[in-house]
Amino acid sequence: MDFDMGDNATQLRRTLRGLIKTHVPDDFLGAFTDDPADLEVAQRFCRTLAEQGLLCMSWPEEFGGRDASVWEQTVVREEMWAHHEPRGAQYMGVNWVGPIIMRHGSEEQRRQHLPLIARGEVIWCQGFSEPEAGSDLASLRTAARRDGDTWRVSGQKIWTSYATMAQWCFLLARTSKQEKKQQGLTIFLVPMDDPAIQVRPIRAMLGPHHLNEVFFDDLKVTDADVLGTVGGGWSIVQDVMSFERVGIARYARCERLLAAAPSMLGDRWEELPAELRGRWTRMLTHCRRARLLAYRVVSLQSSGRIQPGDAAAYRIAVTRLDQDSAEVLMEIVAAIPRRDRAGLSRGGAAAEYFRAEVEDHWRYSQASTVASGSIEVQRMLLSRALLAAS
Amino acid sequence: MILDLGSEAKEYGREALRAFENAGGDQLLQQAEAKRDTREALVAPVLDRLGAWDLDPRVDRDGLEAAAALCRSAGYWAVPYPVAERLARPTDLDVDGLLVVADDTPEAAVAGIEKRWAAVTLAGHRSSVAGQAAAGPGFVAALELSDIDGRGVDKGAGDVALGLVLPCWTLLGMLDRAMELTIAHVRLRKQFGQPLASFQGVQFQLTDAEVERSGLDILAKYALWSIGSDDAFDDALALRLAAIEAADVVFRVCHQLHGAVGFCDETTLSWLSRYSQPLRRLPLGLSATRDHLTRRLGRRGLTGLYA
Repeated sequence: MDFDMGDNATQLRRTLRGLIKTHVPDDFLGAFTDDPADLEVAQRFCRTLAEQGLLCMSWPEEFGGRDASVWEQTVVREEMWAHHEPRGAQYMGVNWVGPIIMRHGSEEQRRQHLPLIARGEVIWCQGFSEPEAGSDLASLRTAARRDGDTWRVSGQKIWTSYATMAQWCFLLARTSKQEKKQQGLTIFLVPMDDPAIQVRPIRAMLGPHHLNEVFFDDLKVTDADVLGTVGGGWSIVQDVMSFERVGIARYARCERLLAAAPSMLGDRWEELPAELRGRWTRMLTHCRRARLLAYRVVSLQSSGRIQPGDAAAYRIAVTRLDQDSAEVLMEIVAAIPRRDRAGLSRGGAAAEYFRAEVEDHWRYSQASTVASGSIEVQRMLLSRALLAAS
Repeated sequence: MILDLGSEAKEYGREALRAFENAGGDQLLQQAEAKRDTREALVAPVLDRLGAWDLDPRVDRDGLEAAAALCRSAGYWAVPYPVAERLARPTDLDVDGLLVVADDTPEAAVAGIEKRWAAVTLAGHRSSVAGQAAAGPGFVAALELSDIDGRGVDKGAGDVALGLVLPCWTLLGMLDRAMELTIAHVRLRKQFGQPLASFQGVQFQLTDAEVERSGLDILAKYALWSIGSDDAFDDALALRLAAIEAADVVFRVCHQLHGAVGFCDETTLSWLSRYSQPLRRLPLGLSATRDHLTRRLGRRGLTGLYA
């Protein structure tokens, strides 16, 4: 056995941390705040990564990537999420929209979309969930009907992250009614600046830009906008899911915040109740557990031996870690004094920022068992695997 | 990265599973409980044939992996013998095995096994076992200890990690079996006209247990790989903390899903569950293990991405 990621991964981690330190402000809490400057930080950071050949390093060389190893890709996921995802919304284009277009797109679609993603110049949103189709995605109602040589799309999407800032939408719509609901679905690549698309932000505890409604009112698209084949959308969705098996490296942010807590609290650390420090220890072991489970999924996936249950066990562990560690951290930062009436920090600027990070982490963690495949879906996948295997 | 045992170690583990099964499988524990002084005679010949004592887990990485695989297989059948403890024997003492014990109440599940035992506390203080009190449940006996290195000398600190890690592999084997038995039970047992496995409430409990079991599986491998490193002790304690937590969840779920039959001695779960207790409580239980690890970690945390 060998749990060492190797020198390349270590060097890459050092490089990424250096870039973050240089290009991301000390008080950055992600691109999705009310301050437009934060989004601009993320957009600039993506261009910086692209210039250094680090944005799309997982891509094949023929599409401008570096064919990075799965462990280098893991390092990128970890460092980005640990530091509040300074790529902003573009991680999605890099992680799966680009690779899916490589796999299923036409030459024209590849030429049109891949260079923009690789240069860090485009934001995509994912038009999947609907008011009546969340975990049961195949029940979606947004429909594209034939109109001569074109298609007309009407319907509503919801929970569409980054829709207000996205230039393109990866849209799943029903193009025909078939015996099975998974049949007759088609992916369209559509520009978000079309007047037939309306976006309505939903204010939420996660902060702006995360939750939106998107309305399609007789949107005109053509066959050239179809990704893959008409009616072949569900298999592409499955492909998207396979790129998202490991998903966000939530454990990395948990681990960074937990590791930083003692120094942020200074002398107050030893004054915390022993029981709370014991819970901190427990969370550290759970971070390690989730990280190693993620590595196992990565390893199984790269060797083609992955089963749905393998990823599901990890997803359950990591999303619960996210929430459990957030509760422990919230209790720990309660020991940091708040600003006084004059607005002056009484715990130091670093401690002040740490508390903001933890509060941000807590808010995000509420969604971790809901987003990208709810914990109930993961449990169904895992129990199905357990009961089928024996 | 290589995240699994080598193929030879895994094959050795499978061979051990078959050997224990051929020697009586579940009957081994039941016979040993009926006649405590037969433990050695029941199990030692099997281990001899497997070449268990030729393994040298303290100096040979392949032997280390094979030892872990053997412990896991022993746990699967709840083999009534301190396999892990014997494999953890230190290299610089002429003894047959090593017991990691608590400072104030040294106990171990070695009743009826007449061997030359060394004991070591978590601080690394070494003793030889001079005698045993009358045994309680789970073959556990209080130990009478005699200093080896003298008071205040903690020469055994480097021996503790392996002494903690291998029994966690035994416990992991028990959890493997408990899950296997429970999955088979819920597929077979019908209530309200359908198998228990068809109820989502049952399915979701199973997944909770499996997340714990599979998490322990990967942590056990990590802690084994860490043996010999500067972090080995912390990693072993972290594993032990996770192992006890996992066992609590898995056995709770398995008992619940078995229903009343799970308490009956006609089911293997009843045996596995109560004989897992020494592994879960000794040398320290959940709270004391967590306290100990927390004190050791201080402000630095576990070695990982950011510490």
